[in-house]
Amino acid sequence: MSRVANEDQVVDFVHAARAGKTPFEIVAGGTRRAVGRPLLDSKGADLPMLDVSGLSGIVKYEPAELIVTAQPATPLAEIKAVLAQKNQRLGFDPADWSMLLGSNGVATLAGAASCDASGSGKLRHGGARDSLLGFRAVNGLGESFRGGAKVVKNVTGFDLPKLMCGAFGTLGVLTELTFRVYPQPQFATTLCLSDVTPEDGFAHLRKIALSALEPAGLAYLPGNMLAESGQGAALIKLEGARQPLEEKIALAHGLLGNALRRIEDDPFAAIGSGEQFADIPGDIWRVMIARADAPRLAKELNVRHWLGDWAGAVLWMAADPSEAPRIRAIAAKANGQAMLLRGSAASRASLGLFAPQPHALAALNRSVKAAFDPLSLFNPGRL
Amino acid sequence: MLLPITNASIVARRAEIVAALKEIVPDGVVADPSGLATFDSDALSAYHQMPLVCVLPSNRQQVSDILKYAEGQGVPIVPRGAGTSLSGGALPREDGILIGMGRMKRIIEIDYENGCVVVEPGVTNMNITKAVEANGFYYAPDPSSQIACTIGGNVAENSGGLHCLKYGLTTNNLLGVTMVLPGGEIVTLGGKSGAQGGLDLLGVITGSEGLLGVVVEVVVKILRKAPVTRTLMASFDTVPAAGACVAAIIADGVVPAAMEFMDRRAAEAIEDFNQPGYPKGAEAILIIDADGVQADVAYAVSRVIAIVAQCGGKTVEATDEKQRARIWSGRKAAFAAMGRLAPDMICMDGTIPRHALPQVLEEMAKLSEHYGLGFCNVFHAGDGNLHPLIIFDTMKDGEFERAEAFGADILRLCVKVGGVLSGEHGIGVEKRDLMIDMFTTAELEQQGRVKCAFDAQGLFNPGKVFPTLSACVEQGHIHVHGAQLPHPHLPRY
Repeated sequence: MSRVANEDQVVDFVHAARAGKTPFEIVAGGTRRAVGRPLLDSKGADLPMLDVSGLSGIVKYEPAELIVTAQPATPLAEIKAVLAQKNQRLGFDPADWSMLLGSNGVATLAGAASCDASGSGKLRHGGARDSLLGFRAVNGLGESFRGGAKVVKNVTGFDLPKLMCGAFGTLGVLTELTFRVYPQPQFATTLCLSDVTPEDGFAHLRKIALSALEPAGLAYLPGNMLAESGQGAALIKLEGARQPLEEKIALAHGLLGNALRRIEDDPFAAIGSGEQFADIPGDIWRVMIARADAPRLAKELNVRHWLGDWAGAVLWMAADPSEAPRIRAIAAKANGQAMLLRGSAASRASLGLFAPQPHALAALNRSVKAAFDPLSLFNPGRL
Repeated sequence: MLLPITNASIVARRAEIVAALKEIVPDGVVADPSGLATFDSDALSAYHQMPLVCVLPSNRQQVSDILKYAEGQGVPIVPRGAGTSLSGGALPREDGILIGMGRMKRIIEIDYENGCVVVEPGVTNMNITKAVEANGFYYAPDPSSQIACTIGGNVAENSGGLHCLKYGLTTNNLLGVTMVLPGGEIVTLGGKSGAQGGLDLLGVITGSEGLLGVVVEVVVKILRKAPVTRTLMASFDTVPAAGACVAAIIADGVVPAAMEFMDRRAAEAIEDFNQPGYPKGAEAILIIDADGVQADVAYAVSRVIAIVAQCGGKTVEATDEKQRARIWSGRKAAFAAMGRLAPDMICMDGTIPRHALPQVLEEMAKLSEHYGLGFCNVFHAGDGNLHPLIIFDTMKDGEFERAEAFGADILRLCVKVGGVLSGEHGIGVEKRDLMIDMFTTAELEQQGRVKCAFDAQGLFNPGKVFPTLSACVEQGHIHVHGAQLPHPHLPRY
């Protein structure tokens, strides 16, 4: 394992890897190493690791500009705490998968962005790709380069920050990220509609999604995923200053009726990070679909442990490894994507993170990867 | 600006190319000079070029067949929506096929349950909203040319608008596209689920200025219209006070739906032009929209009024919808109003970090003196997107050249303070040669390789966005002669 402390050292490392044609794994906090195809060399041994955890810390935080620039391995907890001091938060809701994946590492900013790990708050301002404004990285030629910029509005050249989000570290070694930040609403509350079927529950959530209430979380949990009994619950998170929040709650009651009650805890941090599934055996899937298909597909998928977030646009589920082909087929038929978030090394090696893409699209993905990393040095095969 | 060198051998094969395109689209090939003249420019009308031929496909298979043919023959392609680009993105080539997408304008599906609309690329931005507004919904990005510009063009330019501070740009409101790649392959990126199962190619397509392919179907998000919108005007005795107020509002945690700045010269010109009722004698004016549920808006308005007062300004609120509309119609007529001050005008489009505003304004004033040319400022203050308008007279010797040099210096200044060359108009041919002022060679080459990943032959919109090796020093602008804007009926920001 090689540890680097600055961008120049990353450049040197990549040059050496290039010269030796040695692919490697990029690791910051290490919490997401078990996602995607295992990274092995031709003899089945682990790839060498580039440890970028030394590239940590906030570079510049400009609350009045609504931007923050940080090094890639900055812990999510650290950046959240610093932003909270100015009543702000990241533009996206980074999800920490460490409990789900059984890691005792520290979840980092670049890890969340690279894996497109968005929690329940994705409803509000989108995913990492919607708030990463600019970055610095080292490409597979060993060149450091910038993409995007440190301003909130920019159409100068290709939007490379979008590509870096969800690339799972296959396009470059990130050395700096600039994110848009938003004000932190003063108050948040979760409303719950208990003992509803998936059909009714998701219909209620869509009603809120289609309203002007700007919800921060919309999830449906079947009864067996809840402490209480009953068929299941629709959960709605609303935010705002005190009076606006009260108005939104009243409007939500108007839309869904008086059975809606406030609950004390905020269940959404656990929902977004997959904590509910941490102790459930089997493969863990995130199936991304058109939200209105959620009740039908939940029924068709017919697994014991599942829940729906993002108003139904993502179904989390646990399933026996033998179920993989069925899950992928159902997702594909619905024009969705079934992502294998947690699985055995064997499952991950054979299934990959996503189903194989149609031929032309797969070829295009390979060409774009090669445009950044022609020798396929970075996390080869992970995506 | 040097236009690309024409490939004479392609021009020599024109008759053959026209015939082949007529095989593919029998009723949609424009080849006669008077017909082609319609397409010889976009809204950057300082540049004109007749295309080799223009083809107007009606469906994706025709688009695919055209691109397959073009690749086989090595003929450049220039995609075009409504031709409202302010940066010359749709400027034709003498040796290139102009592919106009205006006939593909069906709204394919309105899907309220999934909060999205599926459309063909030639649907105008406004018509998406019109299709859903009776049910209380709208499509959020609102470029000022929205009555004419198409969604396909919006995807190509990643169009913004007044309300992108709160609701994002095109890229944040797209769920998927189906596009035809150079060579004719059809791929779908995303869809109603928004998920792509691979690299975020949808993200890089958006704002790619027609360099990577032709979009044939688009899935956009729609939003519920906010129940309440209120509009405030704030006036200040000094420009720095207005700048400080913008920063204070943002720092306070208020996210206005829109926040626009104009300096005294701009405000007075607009007031003379269509009398929106702007405060007299102010050095700077802010127009601020707050939207949301009633209490949210009430809270935002109360905070804005308090902060404006702390910054030494005065606030007036629009009393009704009619006054709101008047205030905004004045702002939208800024270009036209400025056009009355001098025969010609160019509009720049840089973005800066907001804190650099006082410095940038001061240096622009110095540049104005240096070049002996007047200018005024309108500014999307919330997101730091500047639109300095330089006024001049082409008939006066050397003024056009001085105006271009002034404009280029302003954009270099934007880059110097940490900003960018374009916030929303795109690079096109207009700012192409300034890219070297913002990006290193390695950075431009990295972007060039992304281009090659889609378009190995380099046939898509060549000569746009990326500088040629022999970069010339001429710079771009929106050229307005005799107060006549291209598409004079469209509001402009």
